[in-house]
Amino acid sequence: MKNASFFLAAVHRDLRARWRHSVWLGAGTTLLGLGLGAVFFYAGLQKHLAPFQFAEAVMGYRLLPQALVGVVAAVVPWVELITGFLLVVGYLGEVLGRMLTALGLDSGRFLLGGVKRRSCLLILTGLEAVFTLVMVVTVARGLKIDCGCGLLFQREVGPAAISENLLTLVLAAFLYWLALPAGENAIKV
Amino acid sequence: MKKSVWVGDLAWAGYLLVLAVFFGLVQHWPMVCLAWRGELPAYLAKVRESRRLVRFQGVKTVNLAQALALYEKGQALFVDAREPDEYAELHIKGAINLPPGDWEALDKPPWTEIPKDRPLVVYCGSKACDNALKVAEKLQALGFARVEAYLGGFRSWDEAGYPVDTLL
Repeated sequence: MKNASFFLAAVHRDLRARWRHSVWLGAGTTLLGLGLGAVFFYAGLQKHLAPFQFAEAVMGYRLLPQALVGVVAAVVPWVELITGFLLVVGYLGEVLGRMLTALGLDSGRFLLGGVKRRSCLLILTGLEAVFTLVMVVTVARGLKIDCGCGLLFQREVGPAAISENLLTLVLAAFLYWLALPAGENAIKV
Repeated sequence: MKKSVWVGDLAWAGYLLVLAVFFGLVQHWPMVCLAWRGELPAYLAKVRESRRLVRFQGVKTVNLAQALALYEKGQALFVDAREPDEYAELHIKGAINLPPGDWEALDKPPWTEIPKDRPLVVYCGSKACDNALKVAEKLQALGFARVEAYLGGFRSWDEAGYPVDTLL
């Protein structure tokens, strides 16, 4: 059991290191992270600019007591705005940092790693997990409502919105795993 | 993975969440209070009403009682502005389906055979949907002279126990 755990941990470390050191995979991951941050920032902004419309969407799910709808409608957009903004800034810094280090400027290293990237990705993973659960419950209850996702167009809660959520959840969790510190070896079994 | 990494990440995540709660509450305090007092639905209805007054100012509307009166007279044609699967499941008896955006259907029967002066009553799912108004506006633009939108939605009609039909 202990050996298997160590083996798995080593495989993880190796995979992560390979991924990080490949220029193309690294660039692809940075783009994905940038995209994820931008999507959340945009979605948060849309909700933030139309708070009552978002409150109406939250109410449509018929899961929360009336008194709490306002708090959720006020806070969720800010969670998305803050995490999206920090991710975008962090990944843009990453691009710049990689360019500077490629040019031989050591100072570029300070721009790598993002701004509280792992915490933002943790929040987004949790948020998407909650959203997915809420949507699955809504579909199971047979409600046909606007998802209130705050993206380009209004969509109904359904399989498409759920798969979209799951995809973002997996992406955020994967980026978190990739952003873990490289040298960890104190696996507790 | 080191435990301290997790703890650190979670602690910062918590801090960012506290920040979001603070900004959210400060920025939208009036909305939070409205919801806390249970007045949010009424306020939202008012906001919706004023938005509709501006956006769909040329469309006449009817309430549930007026819609029933029109139905009982028998002259009005009811138009269901919901999606085809919802229409197939249950709709106002005698209604025809026209989801918003499906404007090509207007060039084909039965639409080409409906006289332009026939009273039309358009409805969608509930009080919150705008589709009845969108479809009514389109029908007006096409020259139908007596178009009205019933804003209570199919839900209110069904809950009142008025005549419904299904395709299933």
